[in-house]
Amino acid sequence: MRAIKEKTVLFLLAFSAAILLLTFAAIILFIGVRGLSTINFRVITASIRKGGIFESIIGTLYLLAGTIAIATPLGLATAIYLAEYAPKGKINRIIVQALNNLAGVPSIIFGLFGYAFFCRFLGLGISLLSGWLTLTCMTLPIIVRGSQEALKMVPKDFRIAAEALGAPKWKIIKDIVLPTATPGLATSIILGISRVAGETAAILFTCSVFLTKDLPTSPLQPVMVLTYHLYTLLIACPGASTDYAFAIALILLGLVILLNLLAYLIRMHYRKRWKW
Amino acid sequence: MRSKRLKLLCFKDKVEILLSILASISIVILFLIIIFVLKEGFPAFIRLGFSSFLLGRRWAPYYEDFGAFPLLYGSILIVFGSLAISVPLGVSTAIFLAEYSPKWLSDMIKPVIELLASIPSIIYGFFGLTFLAPKIMEFLNISMGKVALTASMVLSIMTLPTIVSISSEVIASVPKEYRKASLALGATKWQTVKSVVLPAAKPGIIASLLLAFGRAVGETVAVLMVCGCVPQIPSPPWNYLEPVHALTAAIALDMGEVSWGSLHYHVLFGLGVILLAITFIVNMIADFFIKKAPRGVQI
Repeated sequence: MRAIKEKTVLFLLAFSAAILLLTFAAIILFIGVRGLSTINFRVITASIRKGGIFESIIGTLYLLAGTIAIATPLGLATAIYLAEYAPKGKINRIIVQALNNLAGVPSIIFGLFGYAFFCRFLGLGISLLSGWLTLTCMTLPIIVRGSQEALKMVPKDFRIAAEALGAPKWKIIKDIVLPTATPGLATSIILGISRVAGETAAILFTCSVFLTKDLPTSPLQPVMVLTYHLYTLLIACPGASTDYAFAIALILLGLVILLNLLAYLIRMHYRKRWKW
Repeated sequence: MRSKRLKLLCFKDKVEILLSILASISIVILFLIIIFVLKEGFPAFIRLGFSSFLLGRRWAPYYEDFGAFPLLYGSILIVFGSLAISVPLGVSTAIFLAEYSPKWLSDMIKPVIELLASIPSIIYGFFGLTFLAPKIMEFLNISMGKVALTASMVLSIMTLPTIVSISSEVIASVPKEYRKASLALGATKWQTVKSVVLPAAKPGIIASLLLAFGRAVGETVAVLMVCGCVPQIPSPPWNYLEPVHALTAAIALDMGEVSWGSLHYHVLFGLGVILLAITFIVNMIADFFIKKAPRGVQI
């Protein structure tokens, strides 16, 4: 009797894990199969005026590059400060609390805030720059948290050894701690990029438009983005062919999977190489 | 006097000052978000009246009827529906991963869960719109696939990773001695899990559910695509087979069309204030439970 009960429980638990895996497989297969049949070289490289999505792809890359350029130094500085300079104490607690709260703010609120503050109050308008700044606010918690973990993983002995040699604090961080933590830092930045790549709600009214004449030439111009393009295709043009939609969804999915795979591989590679 | 100042200068080296300024930007951002959303949303509460805005039964922006209740109700309905699916599924998956599954299997499933967490919400919405909605329409024989049930199902897939990853970590962090003591008394594995491990992990599991709730309430694009966007309270109120509207969906849909500074504009920020309040409260309660979780758990 007991054994049967144990078996039943195990079966039910394994079953729920299987459902999760099946759901995942269903999403990947559904978008993968239909996406692959619609995507081709022409769609990717042709301008929107010729029925392609070239501008959206480049626009997404612009958006990613700028956000990372702003968010990375900010995030790393915060993480280094939290992990190395103020590991305990009131300031640390307040900053961590603020980051936790930021991480819990829904992305649509970031969109509202970005519109009210960057676009209107600072007068940046619907522009690439507004998008960068809005998305920076969003990715900051991800980058800081990941980087902080990475910095914490650096063994204490390394620091103590460097201190014993008389190295000043900043030198220890620059020459010992940061190089050791690089894989972890890279992982957290990649995960930050992956969040930005798929973000829609926060860019709806801060930086994206459905149609521009050309690629933006300055950060103060609006930009076409893949997620926004997909959103408009599905929401604003009911009855429009879903072929493009599948192609865009596949590109987005592929991008996110690729970035996650990269982060995973970096982590695995270094875990194997350095054991302490 | 001089040596004291010198000491102070050495103590606070320039790098530290620079880093502390950069680090406090996160605090500034948080404050700016709260201030600007409140500032823009406040006029809505003043001009419409707090209770008639929050409890008004009719949401019809083009007739200047701004009752947020149908939106609020729709959001809550969808979120509770999603938790009804994702909580049993998520918690049992977490138990399986932490207690039963062999290591190679957990090592395989965990990256998949991480990946599920980072799939963009628009992809989930797209999946719901083109795959789930037609299936539900066909299966339940209803005239429209974009109903509260569809939104709940999509949201449940989206909240599963949160529940599974946090819960399994919390369960795994319950000290080994607890399990050994229970097994030594002759309890079976499931008895041990049920009466020793789960009670110890309960605060952490509750925290994961609350975080999932917060994430689900704030989800925008996926909900917008599958909920039907009809601002009504279904009849009967628990009818999941009717379309509804949600707070986030209303903001995203209308924001593109409002003119800056109009009442409608302020009302949308007012919805943002409501949303922000809900997520802050839920996250605060989650925080409280996280602090009670077994030692060493980082969320």
